[in-house]
Amino acid sequence: MYETDSPEQAALREAVRDFCRRHADGADRVDQAAWAARPAWKRLTGELGLTGLAIDERRGGMGAGFAEVAVAAEELGRVLLPVPYLSTALAGAVLSEGDPEAAAGLLPGLASGALTAAFVFTGDITVAGGRLSGTAGNVLDGGEAAVFLVRAEGQLYAVRAADATVTAAGTLDQTRSQATVTFRDSPALATGADGDRAEELMRVLLAAESVAAAEHCLDVTIAHLKSRQQFGRPIGSFQALKHRCADLAVEVFSARATARAAVAAAAFGQGDLGVLAPLAKRYCVDVFWHVAAEMIQLHGGIGFTWEHEAHRYLKRAKTSQLLLGSPGQLRRLVAHRAGLY
Amino acid sequence: MEDEEFRAAVREWLAANLSGEFAALIGKGGPGREHEFVAGRLAWERRLGEGGWIGLGWPVRDGGRGLPWSQQVIFYEEYARAGAPGRVGHIGEQLLGPTLLMFGTPEQKARFLPGIRSGTQMWCQGYSEPGAGSDLAAAATRAELRDGAWHLNGQKIWTSLAHVADWCFVLARTDSEAERHRGLSYLLVPMNQPGVEIRPIVQITGTSEFNEVFFDDARADADAIVGAPGDGWRVAMGTLGVERGVSTLGQQLGFQREFESVLAQARGNGNIGDPDIAARIADAWIGLQVMRITAQSSLGAPAGTAPGTEASIAKLLWAPWHQRLGELAVDVAGASATQTGPDYDLSDAQRLFLHTRADTIYGGSSEIQRNIIAERGLGLPRG
Repeated sequence: MYETDSPEQAALREAVRDFCRRHADGADRVDQAAWAARPAWKRLTGELGLTGLAIDERRGGMGAGFAEVAVAAEELGRVLLPVPYLSTALAGAVLSEGDPEAAAGLLPGLASGALTAAFVFTGDITVAGGRLSGTAGNVLDGGEAAVFLVRAEGQLYAVRAADATVTAAGTLDQTRSQATVTFRDSPALATGADGDRAEELMRVLLAAESVAAAEHCLDVTIAHLKSRQQFGRPIGSFQALKHRCADLAVEVFSARATARAAVAAAAFGQGDLGVLAPLAKRYCVDVFWHVAAEMIQLHGGIGFTWEHEAHRYLKRAKTSQLLLGSPGQLRRLVAHRAGLY
Repeated sequence: MEDEEFRAAVREWLAANLSGEFAALIGKGGPGREHEFVAGRLAWERRLGEGGWIGLGWPVRDGGRGLPWSQQVIFYEEYARAGAPGRVGHIGEQLLGPTLLMFGTPEQKARFLPGIRSGTQMWCQGYSEPGAGSDLAAAATRAELRDGAWHLNGQKIWTSLAHVADWCFVLARTDSEAERHRGLSYLLVPMNQPGVEIRPIVQITGTSEFNEVFFDDARADADAIVGAPGDGWRVAMGTLGVERGVSTLGQQLGFQREFESVLAQARGNGNIGDPDIAARIADAWIGLQVMRITAQSSLGAPAGTAPGTEASIAKLLWAPWHQRLGELAVDVAGASATQTGPDYDLSDAQRLFLHTRADTIYGGSSEIQRNIIAERGLGLPRG
């Protein structure tokens, strides 16, 4: 049962890592006006085809699956690359699972990266005569989306951004945009894709990217503790700090296994996704949050500066923790679905 | 044999054999209750041996069954599901056996492995001493080779099942001049001899599972040494890295059973309506899933991926979790948990609460596990 990447997944992971190392363009926050023109997004979509991983080759995709989307999400999340990847890649995956004919007009654009998506899982959305009305806030990746996939009456409806009022918000985590979206009798396409499943898959992706980000935070912190000298010795030799790092390592190790189990449930139906998705999202993001907070403390003053990357991880972690179900909500959801009460 | 066929065979054998004299052992002798039904459980070990259920993963050339880990897991799952009694022979099967497989001579394997496999030879572990707990390499029990035998003098402590063991594997100092890790040897000492005295330790539960063992010129055969003289530390540490995932999964089925009993009590007495209790129950269940998933993900991992740290990671997950479950159990019971039966007879919840205080201490305290992870896993410098 020892899970590791398939050779293809390992190659994909290395390609994305290489991309992040060499071609990330130095932007450390989303730029809503210019994202589409940025070389990073063009290369990520056009050359690597990452948004089309789960889309059939006949529709311009790579013909892989959700597990591969998760691999890419992990590596982009590890460096907090400020691109609207999560929602666009997930849109490709869930629309392919639904009625591909209904979504035929969307899939090639999602695969090429010309079309970006965002999901609307909350808000007071109503459907009448194939049109949507209502307002939703905190729409992740919503600032850049060209199409919104809105959960209403169980399924996902596609609405063009041009047919909605989109107000981009300032965000605590500046590497991922949010918007408030208002629909007023907006024309909507019924995609046949399962809105509830899409929400679970988004939770799984957040869990997976959180583990990679937590790994990065721990790696950077360990390196700092080995090099930073105080009292004439590396501070990593002090047991008070070592024990905290050991606890973080235990958390990250178990979160890694948990995220993989959730990906396996999502991609291959191994296990109960309804339980594993919220469980993994809660556990892995909490671990990420803890590691990011410790990263700041263990770096001392430098960790509190804008210049150091630690604050960006802390903000991503808190944002992921509060969206798609808070820790308390997910605990109750898991307990309910597991039949505890 | 296919896995499901194997599962059916295990299930059938357990159902057929946990009957008659053994029916009374169901659910007995688990953690915190090792003092219960010892004679019956010793007989059960022999029955397990006759059934060929000991040493499932040992190589066939050493008399084992060479079963894949998936079937070993199935055995532990079915064993726990059937409520089969807590093992008495696990120290021989899971600690001494693998040590001999890795480091033993052909003669030692031929002498000891058959007894372990047949469930007729019980072992205990002689590592800790009053002056050597976390600092195990400070062990001061001395052994001298004289007149063709090892002569042992000193004291061991926290020795589980010493009173039923036939043999003890002992970490003893055989060279007082050498650097302290290099002066230790790994000796196999018979327990039934005049030079061995056993005194039970009364624990915070009021019962005794651990003992003190005193060696007063106790003897061991000259060839009853695993590895060379001075190799004891290497041998003792060598088996710490042995794959534990299989037995960890079995242990977690016991945890599942304990959790369910706490949940049933909370439902029964209405305390599940307390939001604090409800949240802790959910967290305990989530923690159980995370431990199970983590143990499964470690199974079959290539050796050397994280040398020596996976066992420490597993322990830092389960020991504090188990302790919190014990705390939850008495909090769910409420005021009734403050009273005992006659002669300090404890409820399951009280026993779990008290006994789990040991989990973060024995087998390498949580602090030692953190040192291992920080230094061997993360490469942080020694202090």
